[in-house]
Amino acid sequence: MPDALLEKLRASVGPPNVLTGIELSSYVVEGRTPEAAVFPGSVEEVAAVIGLAAEAGRPVTPWGGGTAASVGMPAARAGLVLGLRRLGRLLEHEPGDLTATVEAGMTVEAFQTALRSRGQWVSLDPADADRATVGGVLATNASGPRRHLYGTARDLLIGVTVVTADGAVVRGGGKVVKNVAGYDLPKLFVGSYGTLGVIVEATVKLRPLPEHERLVCIRFDRLKDAGAAVKSVMASDLIPNAIELLDATVSTMLSATGTTLVVGFDGLREQVDWQCAELARLAGACGGQAAPSLQADTWPRLAMAPRAAFSATAAVMTLAVLPSQVAEMMERGADVARARGLNTAWAAHAGIGVVRAAIAADVAPREPAAIAAVLVEWREMAHAGGGHATLEWAPLAVKSQVPVWDDPGAAGRIMERIKAQLDPQNILNPGRFVAGI
Amino acid sequence: MKTLTASGKGEIRRVLEAIVGPGGVLSDPDELMVYESDGLTLFRALADFVVFPTSAEHVSAIVKLANRENLPFVARGAGTGLSGGCLPTEGGIVISLMRMNRVLEVDYDNQIAVVEPGLVNLHLSWKVGPRGYYYAPDPSSQQACTIGGNIANNSGGPHTLKYGVTTNHVLGLEVVMPDGDIVWLGGKTREACGYDLAGVFVGSEGTFGIATKVVVRILKKPQAVKTVLAVFDEIDRASAAVSAIIGRGLVPAAIEMIDHLTIQAVEDAFNCGYPRDADAALLIELDGLAVGMEVQAERIVEACRDAGAREIRTAKDEAERQLLWKGRKSAFGAYGRVSPAYMVMDGVIPRTKLPYVLRRVNEIVAAAGLRVGNVFHAGDGNLHPNLLYDPRKPGDEARVLAAGAEIMKVCAEVGGSISGEHGIGLEKSDFMPFIFSAADLALMQRLKNAFNPTGLCNPGKIFPTKKSCVEVGPVAYRPHAIEEKGLAQRF
Repeated sequence: MPDALLEKLRASVGPPNVLTGIELSSYVVEGRTPEAAVFPGSVEEVAAVIGLAAEAGRPVTPWGGGTAASVGMPAARAGLVLGLRRLGRLLEHEPGDLTATVEAGMTVEAFQTALRSRGQWVSLDPADADRATVGGVLATNASGPRRHLYGTARDLLIGVTVVTADGAVVRGGGKVVKNVAGYDLPKLFVGSYGTLGVIVEATVKLRPLPEHERLVCIRFDRLKDAGAAVKSVMASDLIPNAIELLDATVSTMLSATGTTLVVGFDGLREQVDWQCAELARLAGACGGQAAPSLQADTWPRLAMAPRAAFSATAAVMTLAVLPSQVAEMMERGADVARARGLNTAWAAHAGIGVVRAAIAADVAPREPAAIAAVLVEWREMAHAGGGHATLEWAPLAVKSQVPVWDDPGAAGRIMERIKAQLDPQNILNPGRFVAGI
Repeated sequence: MKTLTASGKGEIRRVLEAIVGPGGVLSDPDELMVYESDGLTLFRALADFVVFPTSAEHVSAIVKLANRENLPFVARGAGTGLSGGCLPTEGGIVISLMRMNRVLEVDYDNQIAVVEPGLVNLHLSWKVGPRGYYYAPDPSSQQACTIGGNIANNSGGPHTLKYGVTTNHVLGLEVVMPDGDIVWLGGKTREACGYDLAGVFVGSEGTFGIATKVVVRILKKPQAVKTVLAVFDEIDRASAAVSAIIGRGLVPAAIEMIDHLTIQAVEDAFNCGYPRDADAALLIELDGLAVGMEVQAERIVEACRDAGAREIRTAKDEAERQLLWKGRKSAFGAYGRVSPAYMVMDGVIPRTKLPYVLRRVNEIVAAAGLRVGNVFHAGDGNLHPNLLYDPRKPGDEARVLAAGAEIMKVCAEVGGSISGEHGIGLEKSDFMPFIFSAADLALMQRLKNAFNPTGLCNPGKIFPTKKSCVEVGPVAYRPHAIEEKGLAQRF
């Protein structure tokens, strides 16, 4: 990186907020080291940094807590890491409006703590909440089990401020819960992995904290029976906030045995009580047995449970299928891996059809080819049912054999055009996302 | 605008007929008149053709023809929109989706349905109702408006407070792009692959293409419903009660406000049992589990009483509930009892700003020498001031438009929005700078360029622009055809 650019960056954000050389070790992704990491302290400084990067044609990788830094393909060219950690304030919280505006670099946990003190929460429970930032969660569309009832970032984000590739500060949406003025820019930026702009502020819808919440565990001998129980719960009057289906490997993490169905209920105590009893009745009819219940803070752990199931993991894949296909996907997917001598761990948001699977790295590291073959088969199984798959985490050796992202089909052309319109120089996270974007 | 010669027009008509069949094209000016406006009859524009395709392939062929001929085109559903969004401002082709109205698939296990865009909103709930399901977004025009129109406008309704708006219920769409290509955005499963194009498409007011199939979520009907009417002597107290309910951690399915003038109109017309001397009433609905319903209702009653409600009534049975809702849902039609015409406004404010904004609305309207009736989604902060006027009185219409702009400015000033559910369309394109900067609008324009680079797909909407070929007042208010038939209410 030219010294002149470094000097300009230091002048923009202050010398202590520009890291270079050995200080960059925490920002190395897939063995690739950025040229510098820059930490602006205001929206204007973010705009200045992006303006400088654009002028010099240097790629920019927005960086929140770094918890999803290895998702996607690594940047095609080395460039700047743009850290948002100094933008960490809660800007506005009016409980009567059930909305809050927050800077992108605030951690999810700090945000929730502030909201909780006034009886509210943002209904997202992503993993690593102590490190993951609001901006990062939005950019990667991270979520957890309670998305079953409360939706994902797309359902909660009502306003967003981004700095675009030309250094412009742009606002989309607003601060009110209902708003159809102009295009829905918040939707565009949720899950865009920093390829269209850098999220610097967000306004979200909030919910009141439930008075009670309980996580009920039901044990099954067979996945199939658990799948039948899910179907029966879905068709009932129950209003669970989450329905997690865990295979035996993930169940052991919760000190449970066999296939476990974890169902959450919240609301008034009498509502929770009634639903727990009703669930026991429905699940019992499918062969389920009550197991000890869990604490509510288990949810964020379950979000990424398969990956944590093994001491070393070779790959993690997320499969989006129809809810009715979940149990079969888990069962057949594990068989496919077992046939190649690989152990797997599975967990699913069973009511909405989002399945996550990890392959164990085991004692001796496996050939990437065997792992790749299993991932390809899983992806084909998802496709066969009309769904799709994302290789959420894997070493580069595997990613080079199995595409991280699915082919978006004809829609890919529109995505490319959006990228070309918003980032014509291709400096924002180049090459990381779908369709080579 | 492209001016077509008589022979050119004849040739295009023949090509259109070859695509959709001889019964599917209108080009006679008398017939085209039916399609010259939507629910906002203040604006009018005539198309050269109205075409009725019955498949995505038809739509694609029509769009490709329009591109070849450099003719603008716009999709149209039931025409119940309230912002002029489906008007052919530059002539060209109106593509009516009314013959694409089938429910293609219902998958109860996975709680989704695949429907065509011309399906009437309420007909979907009718279809899945017998199995205990419904489609949640419920705009007041739901007896007439279509799912495709709902997608264009990201429509809401009274129950969006708890269940969200259209975008929260759409998983995927088959779309005929502005160049005629047929593309799927999203699908039946969760998690979009790549950018959330389905999310971006919903609410794009027909400027990103034409949806030809829609995957929507269907929900289980709630086990129980409870409806409460809280009556207030001062509208400020009703506003305060809304904040109190939200502040106490309660999320009802709906909180609707009806003001004094509207109560008079409704009682004159329908005798729903709202107290005539009240300054305002809140219609509050809870739904969900039967267990705990009483406790929640008591809390609502308590919050209203603490805020100063003089009377609180709970619907004893379904008939009484329906009667209370009739008052709310028929309010727009009832204004005919107290005024020869009215214009419905749509703005959103933070809930806590309700008392201030309602006072400002009253001041603005009084200063303009007009009257206003308020009936709206108080729980969401989504205002609908209805400005009453007499179109025969010279200058009244201009005063209504000016007062409407003032009200929008107040919404913007308190951190709100200029539309909660009716869209920008033609009506509010010049108000966009109230809430968006030049940079914000430039980004939206670039997004539009990605979908609609030629601009032929529904031109002249959303962005500030001169309203060239549109006829705008002073013209007498006329009810829309479907209003005259009693099929829909304004909302």
